[in-house]
Amino acid sequence: MGMEWYIVRRVAWAAIVTFIIVTITWGLMTAAPNPQVQQAVTQAAMDGENPAEAEERMEAQLQLDRPLHVRFMDYVVGVYTLEWGWSNTRNQPVTAALVSALYYTVQYSVPWTILTVLIGPIVGVYSAANQYSWRDHAATGVAFFGYAIPNFFFGIILLLIFGVQLEWIPIVYQTGVPVFSVQNVIQLTIPIFVLVTGSIGAIMRVSRNEAAEYANADFVKTAKAKGVSTYRIYARHVIRPTMVPLSTTMVGYLLAIFTGSSLLVEVVFGIPGLGRTLYDAVVAQDTNLVLGSTLFFTFVATIGNLLQDLVYTVLDPRISFEDR
Amino acid sequence: MATDRQSFDEIDWGQIDEESEREISPNFIIVAIGTALMGAVWAFDYFFVTGTWDAAIGMDFGNQYTPTFEVIGWGYDVTQLDWLFAFSLVLFGAYMILPLYQNPRMTKYYWRDMKRNRPAMASLGWLLFIFVIGVIGPAIIQAPTVDLMTKYQPPMFLEINNVYPINCVGEVAGGDCHGSLEHPLGTTGDGKDIFRIIVYGMQISMKIGFIATLFVVTIGSIVGTVAAYAGGLVDEVLMRWVDIQQSFPTFILYLLILYIYGASLFLFIVLFSLFSWEGTARYVRSNALAKTEEEYIKAVQLSGASTYRVIRSHIMPNSASSIVTDITLLIPSFILFEAQFAFLGLGDSTIPSWGVLIAQGRSDLAFAPWITLIPGLFLFFTILAFNFLGDALLDALNPEADAEAEQ
Repeated sequence: MGMEWYIVRRVAWAAIVTFIIVTITWGLMTAAPNPQVQQAVTQAAMDGENPAEAEERMEAQLQLDRPLHVRFMDYVVGVYTLEWGWSNTRNQPVTAALVSALYYTVQYSVPWTILTVLIGPIVGVYSAANQYSWRDHAATGVAFFGYAIPNFFFGIILLLIFGVQLEWIPIVYQTGVPVFSVQNVIQLTIPIFVLVTGSIGAIMRVSRNEAAEYANADFVKTAKAKGVSTYRIYARHVIRPTMVPLSTTMVGYLLAIFTGSSLLVEVVFGIPGLGRTLYDAVVAQDTNLVLGSTLFFTFVATIGNLLQDLVYTVLDPRISFEDR
Repeated sequence: MATDRQSFDEIDWGQIDEESEREISPNFIIVAIGTALMGAVWAFDYFFVTGTWDAAIGMDFGNQYTPTFEVIGWGYDVTQLDWLFAFSLVLFGAYMILPLYQNPRMTKYYWRDMKRNRPAMASLGWLLFIFVIGVIGPAIIQAPTVDLMTKYQPPMFLEINNVYPINCVGEVAGGDCHGSLEHPLGTTGDGKDIFRIIVYGMQISMKIGFIATLFVVTIGSIVGTVAAYAGGLVDEVLMRWVDIQQSFPTFILYLLILYIYGASLFLFIVLFSLFSWEGTARYVRSNALAKTEEEYIKAVQLSGASTYRVIRSHIMPNSASSIVTDITLLIPSFILFEAQFAFLGLGDSTIPSWGVLIAQGRSDLAFAPWITLIPGLFLFFTILAFNFLGDALLDALNPEADAEAEQ
């Protein structure tokens, strides 16, 4: 019993969650009429053929005429063995399409995550140290601004200013540029800036309020009495307890932004990443690719939440595992 | 001889309990009257106004314009969403606004607290403005219509090169078309008046906020109390589901469902509220668990209050502050989601919402930036106002809550 047992159960729970999600997506897809079958029926009706016959033929071709439980088992096995089917619009396996999209998504999401995780708590602790000064108010203003401005709207405005008016950045993302080059940095600056301003606000607010609670704690007073510099008090003593509650919410929060806003930002800036792939697949009615990218995003969310919980157990030794 | 004197343990407490439940509060009366009125109008709409079913052709035309109040010369078509919106407004009035009037002491206390927070007061003013205009506006102002003759009219005090609008409504000076009072916020590329779209968009945002709140609070409090009172396996299953829901990417789920079933504002609101009640459920559950241990709840139970009564008049009011705060931070995210889907072209493109307008203006950004900027600013200030208000409510209603609950 104890931590190991908790970790085992937590991992098992994550596996169950993925299974539930896979089942739900299958249920949703099965309950709805298949767009390919419908297309065939419409086509047959327009050509003057028998629609029912065309429907049967298409269903047989897509293997939809088998009993439900066989289809379900097939589907589940396929999902877990990464047989995610063939993407008709991209003319390649779904997994290959996702991997090539991931290449572009990683390029902006890694710097974005690092910047948010670094800047957010530091600015938050800084404004807690200078509470109610103009710097604190400025930081709060930035936090609320970033939190409230819709990412896609902000992106459009910045693209208008820097892309169309000033011509500093390309209007459409250049895919041919090497990853580590000045051009790539230039064209990714604005998307990353938009995402960072959107995600940093909440983290700044939470860390500011957390740190403010420790401003009059006994250990801070002791450190002050010993003559420790303000910088050292905040950098060494305050930021660490601040990070503990923050770490519980940060991953989930970043994931929510990753699955929502990054799609918008990719569409606005024309980055052919994962979100863009999902969007294009929805528009082009590519069922396998829609399903594949949806599952990918949900798996990332599940695994992210799992990691967050595991990291939390390691970080904070005060947690009791007895009743978990 | 003392046979007809009732002793304490012979009193039928069940009967007294029933009697006490029969007392009807003014709040309930308001809700009942409001619902009855709406039912009457709905029945009138259903039976007397020509429906979408055309008997001659034998087809249902679906979303067709069927003005409900044509009898009195008011061409407003009441939709499914309007009914839900009206119902949630009645509930909101009876259980949020009226209690503020019924408890003047607490209202004054909160008001004093809120008044000190200037951004929150400004936000409240802005939201009231959006609410009033949004509710009344669409009933008075006509829906925006396509008119290619008046495309790309600039807003007042702005100008545009006269090559873009075919027919400048305002005055033309030096090759530039100037804005006029006829289109105070200008028009779009297909000649729709932006001011009208903004007003209609206000109503859509308010509908999203109120209807989603209705669903979230109802489902959340039911699940929360059931989990707390049933305990054991039921509690475990419900709370595990809440866990899944919390980590599930709603945006992606909605994209999937939209892909399968097609988009409509109604589906959007229902879906998002069906997958967002986890915060409310948690608050209610933890409150119910904590409060059942308190002395006064035990006293109430001993004096014969039913479980329903304990929940209704003790657990729910005690959870109200957390729920209100949670909701104020949830509504802006709904409004933002709607705008995002509209922008992607995956939302309901038939409704005049702010997001649709932002998307429309995107291709004309270079010469007519107001088409995107105006709705974008309205969206921004509305979300900002909800956030400021949520922050202030967090401080005012729940002094011991720390900022973690903001999440």
